[in-house]
Amino acid sequence: MKRRSSERRATAAAATSSCSQHQQKRHDNSNTGAWEENTMAILDSSGIKDSRDVQDDQLCFLEAVRSASLASDPPLAPSWRILNAIFQILVDCNSLELMMASYQLLIDLDKHYPRMYLSRSDNPESSSSDVSKIVVFEEAWSPFNFELGGEEGTSMDSCLFDSLRFSNLIEDIVETVNKSNVDLVIKPVGNLLVFQYLINVLEEDLSLRLTLYKETSNWLLLRESVLNILLGSRKLNFKSLVRDCMSILLKQCHHNILNNSQLLRTSEDTCIQSNQDSVVALATAFSELEKKTFIAVQIFLKLIMEFDVVRKQADSLGLTSRLDSFRLPILDIIVDELTYDKDSLPQFLMAFSDPKWKLELILQYFSKYLTKSSVRTRRSNDTQNDETLKGILSNFSTATKTKNTVKKVSSEAAQLLLTHAFQACLCLVHGPKQIASTIERTGATLPVICNSLISAFRNLREVDEDLEITSFAKEALFTAATVLRRKC
Amino acid sequence: MMEEEPLDFEKEDRLLSPTNKRRKVIRLDDLLSDFYEEKNKIAKYKSKHSSSSKGYNSDDDEKTQRKKERMLSKFVDDCQKQVNEMNADDETLLWGRRVFGQQKSLSSIEHKGLPDCQLLQLQSIADVNPVFDLDAKQGESFLEGLLVNKWLSKLAFISGSVDDSIANWIFNKLLYSSNRELQVSACEFWLEMLLSKDEVDKPLVSLGWFPNYSKLMEALDSYGYQSDSSMCCSHTDQLDGPPENFRSWIKVVSACCQIRSHRSIFSSSEAEELLCIIIHLLLDRELQGLSLIINECMQSIIRYFKEEEWGVSCKRVAELIASRIPKDLNSLRVVEFVSVTNNRSKQLRGETALQLLILCFDKEVNNYEGVLEFLLSINVKDKDCDFLKLYIYLVLAENVLLSYDSDNKKFVTLDMWCKYLRKLSSQITNTDWRSYASKVRNKASYLLQSTIERRTS
Repeated sequence: MKRRSSERRATAAAATSSCSQHQQKRHDNSNTGAWEENTMAILDSSGIKDSRDVQDDQLCFLEAVRSASLASDPPLAPSWRILNAIFQILVDCNSLELMMASYQLLIDLDKHYPRMYLSRSDNPESSSSDVSKIVVFEEAWSPFNFELGGEEGTSMDSCLFDSLRFSNLIEDIVETVNKSNVDLVIKPVGNLLVFQYLINVLEEDLSLRLTLYKETSNWLLLRESVLNILLGSRKLNFKSLVRDCMSILLKQCHHNILNNSQLLRTSEDTCIQSNQDSVVALATAFSELEKKTFIAVQIFLKLIMEFDVVRKQADSLGLTSRLDSFRLPILDIIVDELTYDKDSLPQFLMAFSDPKWKLELILQYFSKYLTKSSVRTRRSNDTQNDETLKGILSNFSTATKTKNTVKKVSSEAAQLLLTHAFQACLCLVHGPKQIASTIERTGATLPVICNSLISAFRNLREVDEDLEITSFAKEALFTAATVLRRKC
Repeated sequence: MMEEEPLDFEKEDRLLSPTNKRRKVIRLDDLLSDFYEEKNKIAKYKSKHSSSSKGYNSDDDEKTQRKKERMLSKFVDDCQKQVNEMNADDETLLWGRRVFGQQKSLSSIEHKGLPDCQLLQLQSIADVNPVFDLDAKQGESFLEGLLVNKWLSKLAFISGSVDDSIANWIFNKLLYSSNRELQVSACEFWLEMLLSKDEVDKPLVSLGWFPNYSKLMEALDSYGYQSDSSMCCSHTDQLDGPPENFRSWIKVVSACCQIRSHRSIFSSSEAEELLCIIIHLLLDRELQGLSLIINECMQSIIRYFKEEEWGVSCKRVAELIASRIPKDLNSLRVVEFVSVTNNRSKQLRGETALQLLILCFDKEVNNYEGVLEFLLSINVKDKDCDFLKLYIYLVLAENVLLSYDSDNKKFVTLDMWCKYLRKLSSQITNTDWRSYASKVRNKASYLLQSTIERRTS
């Protein structure tokens, strides 16, 4: 399963060489070693005190790594120290230029030198047709380090993230986006990029393991995933982490950074800039990276949701053991949060855009209210939520049923949830990412759903005459009517 | 004492030593200590000579003391001035150009009013209409709502097509609407329409109307884009910078380039021009935050060219870029930002560097060997040697070599290259405090070492 570092990343690159035309060769270590020494020496800042010179050297270093590891032929794989130094530059973030360059380089290097890869076994002796194997480089550099426990690591590792530092980073981001007037300094902008990189690493790691798990049902793969270790640590409060992520997403709708460059330029004179990044440059960077951060947060939530589903499956198959500590599924936490804080429901549904999980969330929200609670116990095996959109809509099929439903869920919430569920359903049936199992969750064909939606709204209107139909709902009805017209 | 230590030339010239420590700026303290040393020497010298004449005159002593003080204070002032000048020098040595000037009024170009289309004719949904008061007279704002709340894209996927008039209307919103939500949604709509594919790579939505080059350029022009960038990076002018729509512009150009397999939106000369523009954007410091999307767009355009087009186009783009950008640190920024991830970007980077070098030497040379010969002829010991220029040449030349794949010539050029690097790293002393001298020296010795390693391996 695991290979030691001597033939480390160079082989990984070879395995993926189908996508990159580079002819990867293995290099003897002495050569790489000398190169590493030489390149690291560029960063040696003894004797220079001017911060501008330090920055120049760092840029020089990034460029040297890029040309040796990506451009030259044959390329030299970056060592642990080199990668760590690049990440250190990203974390320290002194200037926009360095930040963007180090981020881009890390992403490019990760693409060329993956930490692990799937290998189809082409060993003729193994009769089991083509079960793939995962090759992990144990000693490959990773921005995460969980091993040191509580102690402060050596100075070399100081920029690496453990669970505590990760949740602190998210807290910092929450603080940044919560401010109505963002301080335009470099650090918070840098945090956004660091977060995006970390999520990128988590995603890469988990998605590969999930692919293989689906083939082999080897739970160990997922137990060892970075995401599982990260969230399993006692240093991290999972519930508040999820809450933090939600509050970042909630800001998405109405967070408008001051983006009038004219205004910024005039205000610029009042504060003296110590470095070369102007306020306008920072504002531009911030608003762009903030948008990417919202996407990264959603990816993060989605990863946990996917993990939870597989975990539940593994539990029922008896693959997990007591080694796998119990954690509340993320959907439960989100649904709880949204029922406590109803005001945030519309914003959250707007902000969270993944159709599959949005539908899942809405179904769970409804079933929390509509299912007889006596039947449902938290850890029993039938917690598998088998509600469908059609089933939910049937609660609104007549005026009496609607009246009963609205008693439990308010008519405003019902309106909102139905509309979003309808939109998610449209996405799943006809969107770019069609999902085969859609019908399981919708329970009916699109025209049926459209018809039930329209009649559900009629009933809602009948039950609650004061109900104001939002423009979002009107648009949904228009869409449903248009779909029906086309289908007939 | 310092002067008693012999200068250790060997130590200084150990070019392959990995740790090249240096001291770029001579500080005030250093100058002062030098001055005092000098003064001590003179004093010793004097005392030796005056010891013969035993006469002791306190007046004289006081006078010389005052004179020395005056000299010293003048000296300190001079040093201060020098240091200030050096700092000012350093500050101007940043890359950066203003790429955007004055914006035109975008709202005048924005389409107002409803596109003429089937979609909003509500007779067919008459049964729903009275109940929910779907007011067709709201017209445009209703359509905007459909766009912002992402219903339009759902409808497009269901019907598999988009009305031309609506496509055009949305694209116009993307380019010109000052309503942030609206223009971002318009951009999302277009990206989805252009990039969605089924399993066999067929687009999910068949479009009758596509964005085109002239519309894109027209928009860029109204954002205030200036291709000649003769203006320097200054904050005194009242400049707007590009509107936020510009980000959508970049993204949509990138998407347009990714669908060549079923639709060539740009001709190859149009794509060349777009590539130049995108690379030119890198010079604006205010756009640094967008460098990720700019880079992505650049890569998409590079991939857009067909195999048979690329060779010619790459050269043409390189020439265009070289002719448009100033031959200072900006040229390094441009070359280094063409981030190398595949052969094409490598080729573009090398070609651009070569064209820049050729223009630097006023076309006295026209190939890489010529460039190297020219470089070898520069006397680095010359007092007036411009090390900043030398530094730029060095980095550019390195990048040319990176993409230089013709093997038969490679060895000859490599020899010349090593010779040049050796010259730089041995002939510039590490006590040369002139601006950029140490940078040239360090870079050259780093490159020399990695080149030698590479050849021996």
